[in-house]
Amino acid sequence: MSETAAGKRRNYAAFDDEIETRGFDFGLVVRLLKWMRPYRRQGFMAIAFVLLAASAAVLAPVVVSRVVVDGILLPTSDAGAPDFGQKALNSFLATSFDLHPLFSACLLFGLWTVLWAFFGHGFRTMLARTVLHALRDLRRDLFAHLEKLPSSFYDRVAVGRVMTRLTNDIETLFELLAGFGVLLGEFVPFFAAVSVMMALNPTLTLELLVLLPVAAVATWIFRVVSRQVYRNIRSSMSRLNENLQENLSGIEVVQLYGRERINFERYNAINEENRQQENLAVRIESYYGPSMDSMAFLAIAAIVWFGGQHVLSGVATLGSVILFAQFADMMFRPIVAMGEQWNVVFRAMASCERIFQALDWDEALEVPKETRSLPDDVEGRVTFNHLTFGYTPGTTILKDVSFEIRPGERVAIVGPTGSGKTSLVRLLCRFYDVPRNSILIDGVDIMDVEPAEIRKRVGVVLQDFHIFSGTVYDNITLGNPAVTREAAREAARLVHADPFIRMLPQGYDTVLTERGRNLSHGQRQLLAFARVLAMNPDILILDEATASIDTETELIIQDALSKVTEGRTSIIIAHRLQTIREADRIVVLADGEVREFGSHQELMARGGLYKTLYELQVQDTAGR
Amino acid sequence: MESRATTSRTDGRSPSSPLWRLVPLVQRHKWRFWGGMSLINTGRLLEAVMPLYLKMGIDRIAAGDTRLALPALAILGLMVLRYIAFNIGRRLVREVGVNAAYELRQRLYWHLELQGPLFFSKFTTGDLMARAINDITLIRQLIGMGTRLLFVLGFSGIVAFLFMFYQSPSLTLALLPALPVFAIIGWLIARRIFDQSTLVQEGFSALSAQVQENLNGIRTIQTHAQEDRETERFEATSDHYAGNYYKLMFLNSGLTSAMLVATGFTTLMVVGYGGMQVLEGTLTLGTFTAFIFYLNMMLAPIREGGIMITLFQRGGSAAARIFEILDHEPEIRDAPDATPLEGIGGALTINHLSYTHPAQKGEGWPALKDVSLEIGKGEMIALLGRVGSGKSTLLRLIVRLLDPPPGTIYLDGRDIRMLPVTQVRSQIAMVPQDPFLFATHIAQNISYDNPERATDDVWRAAESADLETTIRRFPDRLETIVGERGVTLSGGQKQRASLARGLIRETPVLLLDDCFSSVDTETEEFILSRLKSLRHGHTTIMVSHRVSTARHADRIVVLDEGRIAETGSHAELLARDGLYAALERQQGRREELERALEKDVGDDT
Repeated sequence: MSETAAGKRRNYAAFDDEIETRGFDFGLVVRLLKWMRPYRRQGFMAIAFVLLAASAAVLAPVVVSRVVVDGILLPTSDAGAPDFGQKALNSFLATSFDLHPLFSACLLFGLWTVLWAFFGHGFRTMLARTVLHALRDLRRDLFAHLEKLPSSFYDRVAVGRVMTRLTNDIETLFELLAGFGVLLGEFVPFFAAVSVMMALNPTLTLELLVLLPVAAVATWIFRVVSRQVYRNIRSSMSRLNENLQENLSGIEVVQLYGRERINFERYNAINEENRQQENLAVRIESYYGPSMDSMAFLAIAAIVWFGGQHVLSGVATLGSVILFAQFADMMFRPIVAMGEQWNVVFRAMASCERIFQALDWDEALEVPKETRSLPDDVEGRVTFNHLTFGYTPGTTILKDVSFEIRPGERVAIVGPTGSGKTSLVRLLCRFYDVPRNSILIDGVDIMDVEPAEIRKRVGVVLQDFHIFSGTVYDNITLGNPAVTREAAREAARLVHADPFIRMLPQGYDTVLTERGRNLSHGQRQLLAFARVLAMNPDILILDEATASIDTETELIIQDALSKVTEGRTSIIIAHRLQTIREADRIVVLADGEVREFGSHQELMARGGLYKTLYELQVQDTAGR
Repeated sequence: MESRATTSRTDGRSPSSPLWRLVPLVQRHKWRFWGGMSLINTGRLLEAVMPLYLKMGIDRIAAGDTRLALPALAILGLMVLRYIAFNIGRRLVREVGVNAAYELRQRLYWHLELQGPLFFSKFTTGDLMARAINDITLIRQLIGMGTRLLFVLGFSGIVAFLFMFYQSPSLTLALLPALPVFAIIGWLIARRIFDQSTLVQEGFSALSAQVQENLNGIRTIQTHAQEDRETERFEATSDHYAGNYYKLMFLNSGLTSAMLVATGFTTLMVVGYGGMQVLEGTLTLGTFTAFIFYLNMMLAPIREGGIMITLFQRGGSAAARIFEILDHEPEIRDAPDATPLEGIGGALTINHLSYTHPAQKGEGWPALKDVSLEIGKGEMIALLGRVGSGKSTLLRLIVRLLDPPPGTIYLDGRDIRMLPVTQVRSQIAMVPQDPFLFATHIAQNISYDNPERATDDVWRAAESADLETTIRRFPDRLETIVGERGVTLSGGQKQRASLARGLIRETPVLLLDDCFSSVDTETEEFILSRLKSLRHGHTTIMVSHRVSTARHADRIVVLDEGRIAETGSHAELLARDGLYAALERQQGRREELERALEKDVGDDT
């Protein structure tokens, strides 16, 4: 039984592993497309826009070269090369508006430029919209998934390891997808330009295209050479950060043990290594970067030389040579852009893998297909029936625990640290899977009930309750719309939290800082009581604070406690005498087993462990 | 040390502008910086010459002239020269940026090493890390790229303008009025982009904060079955972030399109006005083409001005954040006339010591009130008292983690404020309450003050702290890595490692700040009895709240609310029947119970 309760063995260490950048994985990208699907309309619109923008982008220079240069400025040199209807359009414009053809050509040029700008803008914004929405959804899905992972997961995996997947990794995916957009924005006009060039003068075009593989090879060499350097830079950066972080966390030990100088030298050795690698990267980039701009110059020289020959031999027009010169820049941009996206792709693949690893983590509480629900008015009978439990297979925290709490009864659990008190109540809240029929509420096995339902019926205040940054009011309602403002105030009044809340600068609307650092421990405790009470649970579980609280607050808490538990099945992990005394019955836990169970009088009469514990408490209270 | 030399240099200029304070970082490499800058500008000049040869080529083609080799080869030659100029120039300027980052990191680290507790209560580790990582990167980008854009773009604009003017003054003047309009539009959009990107960054921080807080409080959320609602809340934040991001992308794209239209508009003027001139015969077709090229060059500063403004704004605020740290004078420093003491014995005198913890604002809280104590060389003292009674503060004052008022603490008759801090800390070892271990070998953790120590010494210290058997059980023995990526030690093991780290130093004075709290009583007994013989003849002060620990001391000092309540030996204090005696009774009962429970449990298993 305990085997199924603890579930299969899982490799939690996988979350700590560095996922090394691997090659391009098409499968991961296809899987990402799933989140783009709902926005495919915008995506297709973006593609339509980029096609339109590219057409306009190519037509504008065609107007200058073919219409203005070949048609107006040097009409003799026209060799009948294609003009994509621009000449006809221009003469139509010129005649219908009675303009000089030069000015109508200007208008036409202006029109294409504006359309280019307009469609280009449309493309970029549509694409951004698609990608941002898709990633927003992915982020939500991942978050929702993480919210549902059971405690056994969070017991073992550091929050930081999970967190970066929701933050940085998704940002990297944005870079990747936006990068695909950049590539699209460069490649489509490139192909449009090449088609126009081919139509005008295939020979010259092919002569120029020879340069492309040169640029591609240069880019490839650059990436190969720089890859290791960039990896070294990343590694030295992360070692620098780790070193600094550790040094800051342990600064007191560093200073006490006079290690400032040695640590500084070690840090600086990494710093020096980083500088050398950075400078190496700068050197490599300085060879590559300007070489790509130079390609455009090379192309222009070739256009003047080869193009000139063509014009002189009458194969090409001067206008087409000018057009080619204007396109020279556009030719190499896709390659440069591809080189820039290279690194992003590898980083993004690793991010993708980390995100899907978390999303695919299928750990969940065992919930039967056919769940039962608790009766509408839960009486509050809680039965522990031979409960044996361990967090990992092979260990036991609770051994054969059996006792029954009657409806409306107030039960205190006492026992030394590590005796399993907290585990017992965490199991009742259904944070973990337990063997079947070992915990029952009103005779219903809690394993048959939806965990969320149990948590709505069983209210719990543990020691590690969390105060969220937000207003006091938010902290009581926890955003639950079922809790009205009035109900929240009522709950606060009942546990005596109202007076101190009203003393706060903005009362119930005072914003509390993270973890409630601007409240005292006692005040936080009262707030946690109010929060649970506002839920109006059928069964109440309280873990009494062990931290030292001043006597006055303690009295208030004590009183709040009795009010909260009044007439409600309550289980209190008790540390205070008063609480123990007010309990109807007391469970004494030691080493995971129930040692004694009964009322104060019964247990005192037995003269066992409880009596010793009780006397000690009396002494502690007296000594205070 | 280079880092030392720089600290005095920064203060000459106006302290109000953090950007000015970056100048020395550049000035140190002025040859490299200005040499690189001139080379890049030379490259730009060569770039500006290119359209002249294009023009020559086109004019020759138009005229049916076959001598095209000259313009084609000239363009090739310009390409090669420009490449060389850019290659070297960019490298030089960017190296200055890399060096600036290197030097700032070095200075920052050393500066942080000297800071005291007040500083660290003001700046959290996360905050300092963010400054060290992001802000230094921003400064590097500013120096390596921002300055280049500033000088080069300005230069390009002017050069292009001059070349155009030389080619055709009338056409250039016709274009002139449009330029300021473009510049203003560009600048306005760039400003909005900067504001929007700040919003995006804030949005990301908010998102991260929400994720972190949520995951940290996941139990509370699940307890209250609020997962769905939290997901909704997160979705709202995430949606808000995506919305802001979209606006940023919209503005960025808008700037690109606006600049495209601006370039188009000026080209249009060249085509219209210049075309007329060609038809009239006052302008050649080659000049006409060259003009279109110059236009692109002249508009570059406007196009990329936005990036430049952003780099400068970001770099400026990053510099301010870095200098905020660097300007923070260390709280604890050597007195100007501090001289080291020869041969320290280990006698301590505490003379009417009162200490109030300073607060960020308002009144501080008093920790010690008029404490006077004479501790002889070789004495073993136990400091006992409740939480907040001032025990730790006293130890921290003795070792100068906190600064005592002058004339209150003497080591061998000398005011410790008149000793170099390094000497105080090398002669007085303190084992702090929090057993912080570094993520490295156990051996390196134990011999932390001096990594060169012999392995035998490490083993001996481990043995004294009763850690030897534990270490022998690890497969890698002393080479076992501890911490996040290694073996996780239990609380008690950590405390014992931390203790070994202090014991190995064999200093004249040893301070133990409550370092048996996670160690069971039996082990504690064992360690204490060893400690007694080990520290024989050396001064030892141990803080504890356990009577069982205090019992071992020659003398017990009970602190209560910052004052000495009673002093004396175990027997004397019991006889006095004061605070100590009460504590003894209470704790005695507890121990009894613990033993009873252990026995009880033992019977069952």
